Amino acid sequence: MSKHLKIALVDDDIPNTEVLRDFLIRNGYSHVDKYHDGESFLETLERFDDRALVLDFDLSGGGELNGLEVLEAVKERSPQTHVIFFSGQDSLEVAVESLKNGADDYIVKSNAAYALVKTSLDKVYDLQVLKLSERRNARISWALAIGWMVTLVGVALFVAN
Amino acid sequence: MEIIDRLSAGDPEKKKYYIRLFLDTIEPELGNLQAIDISVDQEPIRAILHKLKSQVQTIGAVDAHALMSAQEQTIKEGKQITRSELDNTCELLSVLIQNMQDLLK
Repeated sequence: MSKHLKIALVDDDIPNTEVLRDFLIRNGYSHVDKYHDGESFLETLERFDDRALVLDFDLSGGGELNGLEVLEAVKERSPQTHVIFFSGQDSLEVAVESLKNGADDYIVKSNAAYALVKTSLDKVYDLQVLKLSERRNARISWALAIGWMVTLVGVALFVAN
Repeated sequence: MEIIDRLSAGDPEKKKYYIRLFLDTIEPELGNLQAIDISVDQEPIRAILHKLKSQVQTIGAVDAHALMSAQEQTIKEGKQITRSELDNTCELLSVLIQNMQDLLK
């Protein structure tokens, strides 16, 4: 089943990004874009960006910005965007700092890590589905309330006449 | 190389494509490590080790990953690694490259 969650991968590690992208596509995520530096990703970032971001911490092989700086820019311009760090930095301090700055998850690169990234994205996807469903239910509730009010006004006018 | 098999989901062309992708990064960086002057700033060595360690792990080279992680950590702590320590890493990378090239034949 295709999952309608747009994903942006930002990592200067070209082979790993390519393999991760293929892995996610094979697992139902059809819309996966890749960027090899933070700057080119931020150029495409919109105000209410609905993409989930999988972000490397050390982007020194790409542009000038590191992962934390990209996270900061994302949270400033599009706070609701979900950010998952996917990093070779196996450090508790770095992970805590990332989470404190608004990241949703921190995954250390390893053999099993692709599956962990997918699990984390599945949670983001489920959350998006839930939010959409809540919005739809709210619209239905409003439509029902307005329908009832129109009916009551109609009945009241009928009785009055 | 089981991991490459798994990642390529049994597609032989995909497998070769992934191997070439990794070789394209690992080969030039091995050349850089072999040529680098270790007596000056070791930060460029740390950056290369950091870049390569994720890649060698992805393709299942556990020993190379462990060695490179330890050397990266040493440099991060402000200590220096020796030429012979770096040569050990280069040796492991050479073997890895040879194995990958054999898979392309």
